[in-house]
Amino acid sequence: LCRGGLAERLCRLQNRERSAISFWRHQCISDGKIPSDKSGVLIVKILEIFEECTIQVAICQQLEQSPATVSSKDAVINAGEPILKVLFARETAAHLKSRPQDVIHIYPPWQKLILRNADVPVIMNTYFSEKVLPSEHSETREKTSGLTKMLIRKNIISLAETFRLDDADDELHQQTPDNQVACAPQIHNNCDSKKHPLAQSAVNDSLLEMVESQGAVGWREAQVRVVIQRVYCLPAREGYGSHIQGNKPLCATPVINSDPPNVRLCLLVQDAYGMFSEVQLQPLNSADDVEQYCRRWEGKFCCLAGMKILQRATRGRALGLFSLIESLWPPVVPVKVPGQSQDSEMVATNLGPPSFCYILTVQSGEIHVEVDEEEQISNLYQPPAVHGLKEILQMDGCNERCSFWAQVLYLRLQTKQSVPINQREICLFVTDSTLQNVVHMIPKVVAVSVAASCVLSTEITEALSVTSQLIFFKDALWGNGKIICVERTVLLLQKPLLYSAAGADLSELTGPVRLDELDSTTQANSICAVRGTVVGVNESTAFSWPTCDRCGNGKLELCPQDRGSLYCNQCSEVVISPVLKMQLEVFLSCSSRPQSTVKVKVWHEMSFGLFVLINMLLSLQSYEVQSVLGKEVGLLNCYVRSVTSRLNCIALEEIVLL
Amino acid sequence: VPDDLLLGLKFIFGPCAVPALDLVDQRSVTRVISPSGRTAYQVLGSSGKLYTCYSSCHFCTCPAFGFSVLQKSESLLCKHILAVYLSQAMGACQELTVSEEQLINILLADEEDEG
Repeated sequence: LCRGGLAERLCRLQNRERSAISFWRHQCISDGKIPSDKSGVLIVKILEIFEECTIQVAICQQLEQSPATVSSKDAVINAGEPILKVLFARETAAHLKSRPQDVIHIYPPWQKLILRNADVPVIMNTYFSEKVLPSEHSETREKTSGLTKMLIRKNIISLAETFRLDDADDELHQQTPDNQVACAPQIHNNCDSKKHPLAQSAVNDSLLEMVESQGAVGWREAQVRVVIQRVYCLPAREGYGSHIQGNKPLCATPVINSDPPNVRLCLLVQDAYGMFSEVQLQPLNSADDVEQYCRRWEGKFCCLAGMKILQRATRGRALGLFSLIESLWPPVVPVKVPGQSQDSEMVATNLGPPSFCYILTVQSGEIHVEVDEEEQISNLYQPPAVHGLKEILQMDGCNERCSFWAQVLYLRLQTKQSVPINQREICLFVTDSTLQNVVHMIPKVVAVSVAASCVLSTEITEALSVTSQLIFFKDALWGNGKIICVERTVLLLQKPLLYSAAGADLSELTGPVRLDELDSTTQANSICAVRGTVVGVNESTAFSWPTCDRCGNGKLELCPQDRGSLYCNQCSEVVISPVLKMQLEVFLSCSSRPQSTVKVKVWHEMSFGLFVLINMLLSLQSYEVQSVLGKEVGLLNCYVRSVTSRLNCIALEEIVLL
Repeated sequence: VPDDLLLGLKFIFGPCAVPALDLVDQRSVTRVISPSGRTAYQVLGSSGKLYTCYSSCHFCTCPAFGFSVLQKSESLLCKHILAVYLSQAMGACQELTVSEEQLINILLADEEDEG
């Protein structure tokens, strides 16, 4: 802005005015009474009210004094009283919520404008206005004004008038009232369209039309009716939800998620023309309710209004979003084609998948999303297609979204020190009946990597750390031989109400789970079963340590008072009978992988197979390694830490399955 | 220009007021006249683009006019039109005389863009 220019001056004046307005409003609220200084106050009674170009125009009668002091008999329209046209800015109008017959006090500074060929003076700059309720009727008025929504006629000026094509002036064309001026909470769960038939006339069914006709400023009253295809949570920019800590099933301190809102509830919606849009709703503290929202909302219709365009995403820049969109393409019912008559046979179903998608967000303080939970599921809804893991592993293609139902056997947290704990990847080892019941070439257990961007609810993370769970993975990503859970993947404890399961074997697992046995194809970051003969012991890594018998704390300290006893500072008590834990690495010779050196880290208390072995080692003051050699060990469940092909060495760690 | 007038402008024209005043401050409005007396206004927008505002009727070639005024009836005018009126009132228009052909091109060129 130019220094010293008019624009800069107006900016300053505007700021001052704004502070004065908010100060005045606060004063009104706190005082609760009309300030006694009546000089300069304009008292008007509204006769008629309508809206034009976002300004509310009220045709009023100027009153000499406040009607509170006048008895109701005298409050009749006196033909002699001057008529005024009072203009209210949008914000003031929303604050006042005025109706015909209301009495408004307008405090200075206001301005009067007399137009050249008009009789009625115009009153503007009416920021400091207050509605005055006549005391006898105040209670009833408050009740009625709270219940009904205000419908204010919007005066739409015809283009002929705008361009002054017909010279007949002062004929304001009256349009049908089709706008509501009301604020409501952000998410509605009941559809209002039945109760407010006027709202339906403004409902559109094309996202593209709404977006293109409004530009990036955002629009207000018009609504679009869309189908909710998916509900999920996205991490907000500031941070991610915490994942569980640790990969050992002990009574670790529960994860307390005390972060500020760090996820956003999002909807992937589709309109009648097949166009998609991602709608970002309000931030949540945690993803805990997402399962509920999925059940209640997926497949239902909803009306969007007053959205703001955040971004126009294209496939190249939003691969995750588009992989989800492509999994929903082609649509299951014919979609409309813009500009053509909607004869269903004529509809083109060979349209390619969409190449762009608008990401919309809510504007604060206004109503936007009304989900019609009562209505039936739309025909356009495509529930997740569930497949068996075997089928998924055999799928072609890259970046395909897939959904499946699997049993989690083991969980491992990525242990990179540089990454903060709540952003670490979790690796879940899962299986289902399609994998367990096969013979060759297909692993029995598959690793599913859960990225930090995949938001997990605390319900899931707690359930996962406790016991083996059957989890429904909705819209996980398959590519490059791996299944990963990323943004827009949702993990659920229960099967969704609707899903399509073409030929998938969703039977429960019968019998104990079997792991693949260690062999030449075993890769790092997998789990397997091992059996073999002890051929060596890595004495340098053998050690034991006492742990608290109450809480399992492995970091006990010497009691300050009595140096012979141990103290647990988590329980804040002396440990009388500590549990001894031992760790040892043994080398095995496995017939299934004869050429490799197999090194297994075993833990006492988890491995009864080696318990005897370790006990022997400890009890003998100086043990004879020979006495340990040759012992048969197996089957141990192990996690493969690394495979060094050069030395043909494979390092395993014994684990306990969930 | 008294403060009241500025605030009045803000009240009526809302978000257009400050940008329009800025355009006036920067002398962005040019009245283009041809020998036959035809006029048009050209406003140098903030993005550097030149928009044409017609003098015979209420119209501007900028996209905001198309959306907010014509399609949604949300605004009375765009900042360019307001700048034209203000510049006229304040005598702050630059003047430019062009030939008939040039003026025709200005008016038609915008038409082609719309098409």
